[in-house]
Amino acid sequence: MFLNPWSLALSLCSLVVLVLGAVAGKTAVRVLRFWEPGSDSNRQIRLENEIWLSSTLVAYGLGFQIITLILFVLAADQFCQVIVGAMCATGALLANPYGMPALLVKLFGVFFYGFWILLHQLDIRSEHYPLVRIKYLALLLLLPMLVLDVTLQTLYIAGIKPDIITSCCAVVFSDSTGGGTNLMIGYSQQSLLIAFIGSIVGLAAVGWGLLRRWRPWLAGFYAAGWFWFFGLSLVVITTVISSYVYAMPYHKCPFCILKPEYHYFGFALYGALIPAAFFGASAAVAGLVRGKVGLTEVVDGYQRLAVKLSLALLVFFSGLSFYHYLKYLISGGEG
Amino acid sequence: MLIELSGVSKIYNQGRANEVRALTDIDLGVEQGSMVCLKGPSGSGKSTLLAIIGCIFPPTSGKAAIADRQLARLPDRFLTLHRRETIGFIFQRFNVLPELTVLDNITLPLLPLGVPPKERKLRAQELLKRFGISHRAQFPAGQISGGELQRVAIARALINNQPIILADEPTAHLDTTLSREFMEIMQQLKAAGKTIIIASHDPLVFEHPAIDRTVTVKDGRIHVP
Amino acid sequence: MAQTNLEKQLNILDYALSSLWRRRMKSLSVLLVFASVIFLLASFQMVTQALSDKAKQVLAYTPEITLQKMSAGRQEAIPLAYKDKLAGIFGIRRVVPRIWGYYFDEVLLANYTVMGMNVDEMPESARLDTALASGRMPTPDEQGRVVIGHSVKKALDLEGRNTFSFFRPNLSLKAFTVSGEFSQGTDILTNDLIIMNLADARDLYAIPAGMVTDLCVYVANPKEIDTIARKISEALPGVRVLTRPQIQKTYQVVFGWRSGFGSICLLTALAAFVILAWDKASGLSPEERREIAILKVLGWETSDILAVRFWESVIVSGLACVVGMTAAYIHVVYFAASLFRPVLMGWSVLRPDLHLLPRMAAGDILLILAFTVIPYLAATVIPAWRSATVPADSALGG
Repeated sequence: MFLNPWSLALSLCSLVVLVLGAVAGKTAVRVLRFWEPGSDSNRQIRLENEIWLSSTLVAYGLGFQIITLILFVLAADQFCQVIVGAMCATGALLANPYGMPALLVKLFGVFFYGFWILLHQLDIRSEHYPLVRIKYLALLLLLPMLVLDVTLQTLYIAGIKPDIITSCCAVVFSDSTGGGTNLMIGYSQQSLLIAFIGSIVGLAAVGWGLLRRWRPWLAGFYAAGWFWFFGLSLVVITTVISSYVYAMPYHKCPFCILKPEYHYFGFALYGALIPAAFFGASAAVAGLVRGKVGLTEVVDGYQRLAVKLSLALLVFFSGLSFYHYLKYLISGGEG
Repeated sequence: MLIELSGVSKIYNQGRANEVRALTDIDLGVEQGSMVCLKGPSGSGKSTLLAIIGCIFPPTSGKAAIADRQLARLPDRFLTLHRRETIGFIFQRFNVLPELTVLDNITLPLLPLGVPPKERKLRAQELLKRFGISHRAQFPAGQISGGELQRVAIARALINNQPIILADEPTAHLDTTLSREFMEIMQQLKAAGKTIIIASHDPLVFEHPAIDRTVTVKDGRIHVP
Repeated sequence: MAQTNLEKQLNILDYALSSLWRRRMKSLSVLLVFASVIFLLASFQMVTQALSDKAKQVLAYTPEITLQKMSAGRQEAIPLAYKDKLAGIFGIRRVVPRIWGYYFDEVLLANYTVMGMNVDEMPESARLDTALASGRMPTPDEQGRVVIGHSVKKALDLEGRNTFSFFRPNLSLKAFTVSGEFSQGTDILTNDLIIMNLADARDLYAIPAGMVTDLCVYVANPKEIDTIARKISEALPGVRVLTRPQIQKTYQVVFGWRSGFGSICLLTALAAFVILAWDKASGLSPEERREIAILKVLGWETSDILAVRFWESVIVSGLACVVGMTAAYIHVVYFAASLFRPVLMGWSVLRPDLHLLPRMAAGDILLILAFTVIPYLAATVIPAWRSATVPADSALGG
């Protein structure tokens, strides 16, 4: 279903990102082939200039990726109106096998762009540009990811047939026993919540420990913890938090909270969670290049900042997560 | 030595058909607080030498240390970062942006440093007062007289309190009175501890008593008479 | 550190503003063209959005299932007796016979929607009584009583009198008395509507006794619509069974398709604009080259110049969005999308004096941004980089 403004906007954005990515990729190839630090040749001067082009393109790419990610979810929410049986974005995304993978690739893309920009920012702080090779090898990986992103998205849009019956989120995430379409079956709310609270406490403790004394293995543990927590949070948002936001026990959907009816609550929630996970994980990523010439101090400074930011966002995220839950407990569901 | 060049060469378009050897084997040391004139006809390599001292591009080979920092092999970005802390530039024809006000022209170097507007204004007003052009602060730079323009250009070179002042043919388009005035101001700055390098082939400059040394550049080499 | 960075961005933003102002003719021309492109896209989006909202409102009043008899692929009158055949199907709350037709007034060249039914038989939620501004609904045994909508009253010029006549198919006249009026609040539904009882409608259209145009089926549980619809079509072969969700989806597809098609047409305008933007951004005048070289000598980094260009693009597109979207809203709400009239007239839903009230959610704004600002930013980034890499030494010498 391409003749729909949302599909068109998504395709247009993808096309734009693809073109920018191709230009950045061309720069990457040239830099990897011809980079000669300290040379005074015209080519080296050009390459030094092209570093700014590629970093700007990636920064734009990050911005566009975030916008398309939101656009994609909102588009799915629109598509559900034409897909018989789908009542919200979940149903629309599950309408064919490409919806969820496309969403995940887009989400992954946000992290990828983020890590690349981090590498770039660290790199340009040292006058030796020690990360040029790593940076541009990574940039070459961007292209296949973009192609995958565009392919999945196109297949998804092409596969949306307005008359296919799909399950809506009420079926997909509800506790009903019927059918195998239930995504989040088998977790009890109680144990999920305990794991969730436990992870928050654990992360906060590790982060605090890191700030007191930096230990590389602990930073790695912290990063791994954030990946675990990111996944867990998505599950908890879907199965527990969302239904308290909707004030409906059987409405469990990770996307509807993004809608104006719920005061765009989801944007705050994901807007805290995604950067928190990024900063939490990035401290360890930055640690990987700490040994490069001229980066030790820069990396140390960044790591402390990243841990502090991730902890602050963790507190904010936890507050948001429990807001509706506590409100429900206190008011007894009356308000 | 505040400025120390040894064996500095600069080759443009290296390895190409249009290769130009602009500087060959330059050795030059300038002490803090001195005033040096770079003399030589146009095309002698004088401007290239000024650009290397001014951290605009690195030398092709040789060592160049400006304010205790090696320039060779330094990427463009770090040259810029170093330049804005150490070098104040006075251009030929003064190169102001004619549509910006005098005040905005003077504070241009402060924008990327993240100096807030209030402090920018304060610092600029101080300099304007010192050069007696406070009344021109809100005038577009394209509408003031040559003498005022010259003082605006000098004020801009001083705004970040850089230790080194570089001037590129500052008197080439000035009459004698203004040229003398320019040198007077330079003399005052020297007295205040600035290191000044002027590229010029104007006798009014290189014969000025405040000049400690005149370096003649010819065919890309320092010419020893 | 973070503080300085913020100050630096503010300074650069400041410089970008003054730079736009200095080149105000150029900036203004780009801004105006950009705003018009956004205006076209946003108007189109708002119109389709408002229309599809209206369609939803209309559909809220339609019965869950509508039955029509088909013969030779065309609709014809359905016998009332079919109602009895539905008696055995569990879950049906009520079956209401209805005569639905159009009456073309050859004198006034106006088209009215005529609905004949027994108002009392309707379930509470679908009752039209609530939409009455004055008077009351005709009862089954009153003769020639009608309730009319706002524009019918205006068209028939019923100020000061309350009787009018329509022609039957055999050209004899049938007189009506107005017993009530719909309020303007439900205009979309009732604007051109004339409600009468079944007997009058049958008389007006000369439909034989025991026949109606369609049967409205109301069900108790909306989740059972599909099941009941299937049972009905099994019990009554040869009858077209329309369910409300089906109609709704069809509308959505049509609206989505229409606005998609419109967007593609408007993309041409966008493409033209992007080319213009690229052209304007890449043509670097000697003055601009000189300015950038001076800034670089004075200690501006390449990335600072890039930031200036970025802020310029953001300011231009932000302003263009505000201007374009506001103009689009005014165009749609106060001028009823008059620019698109010729295109939209084919849309049978749109009646001449339709009031459109688009609601713009954050998502719709994001959609328009994605259509306009992203291509613009992308078109200006490479020219911006080209200008940012003007070498500093070109400010020296000569």
